[in-house]
Amino acid sequence: MDTDLLIRKLASDLKPVPRRSMAARLCIGAAAGASLALAGVALVLGLRPDLARAVFGFTFWMKLIYVASLGAGGLLASVHLARPEARPTSRFWLLVVPVFVLADIAAWQFYFTASSLWPKLILGDSARVCSTYIFLISIPVFAGLLVAFRRFAPTRLRAAGAAAGLAAGGIAASVYSLHCPEVGAAFVLIWYSLGILAAALAGAVLGPFVLRW
Amino acid sequence: MRPDEELLRTLMINGLEGDSPSYEALLRALAPVLRAYFGRRLASAAQDADDLVQESLLAIHTRRSTYDRERPFLPWVYAIARYKLVDYFRRRGAAAPAEALDERHAAAGFEEAVAARMDVARLLDSLPAKQRAAIEAMKLRGESVADATLSTGLSAAHVKVSVHRGLKSLAARFRKDG
Repeated sequence: MDTDLLIRKLASDLKPVPRRSMAARLCIGAAAGASLALAGVALVLGLRPDLARAVFGFTFWMKLIYVASLGAGGLLASVHLARPEARPTSRFWLLVVPVFVLADIAAWQFYFTASSLWPKLILGDSARVCSTYIFLISIPVFAGLLVAFRRFAPTRLRAAGAAAGLAAGGIAASVYSLHCPEVGAAFVLIWYSLGILAAALAGAVLGPFVLRW
Repeated sequence: MRPDEELLRTLMINGLEGDSPSYEALLRALAPVLRAYFGRRLASAAQDADDLVQESLLAIHTRRSTYDRERPFLPWVYAIARYKLVDYFRRRGAAAPAEALDERHAAAGFEEAVAARMDVARLLDSLPAKQRAAIEAMKLRGESVADATLSTGLSAAHVKVSVHRGLKSLAARFRKDG
């Protein structure tokens, strides 16, 4: 096609772009994926039966805030890396803050718990499945983020994929925490983090293939 | 000729607000900029360069929401063009020749140059209008006193005094900030 014609066609059907449209688009994608994930968890695994009581407890919020902050960090990094001129920034290091805070809580829990109960704090009853579930739940969230990325212009595809994977993992873990009754901070620090890390790594591997434009 | 960052950025922002004529003017102005960019790097494949111009215009359009209105505009455009160029080499199965991608450094330098020009503009904005006009004419555009009297409408003595006073108050401000 002739360039002149192309330009006229592109300009003739111009829709305004609101200022925060990128973040909004990413959040819609994440929310769509998260709804699907939540429906899947509620139907297949079931929400924890004591959920109504748990929301008044410390460990419920400890888990949710930890993984949600990692998910939020992943979303912010995704918005950053979705711009073509983006370079990695040192602000990504802020992601270690929630990890350190949770490690503190874990140490504090060990200190106040008889050492005979430590395996319970670390392994709980579901150490074997926790990471795998979180990874599986992150798949629909990642898919939702990919749809959002179709209008973005990432040029560092591996980094952008890792950021989207981290966001998907953090959101998936938030959903999973509505099912999981574990109370150990060390349990969350190890098994939740592993699931989220696996999602981020998968994103980094897939990024160069699925984010191309 | 250097593309005009300020003008293109204004057109882009108008375009994002939905102003179709501004947007069309923007794309028309970008086409030769992109053609020069790809032409320089694909001297032997003029048709491919033209295709890449169109692909880039299309990408600029469909991905225009990724432009942040607070940031310089041309580095955003060049980042898209560069991605399209790398993708072109990858599709052809050839490693991108190093000299074709030197633009990364050039673009980074350009971004700094744009930022520096914006800093200068902001500093000058803090001066009275006459002093600013005189400094712009003589120091930035390099005009002679005679030319500067024409472009600013001030007398020759007035131009010289304005430049002198303007530079002095800028220097004073630097000493205070530094």
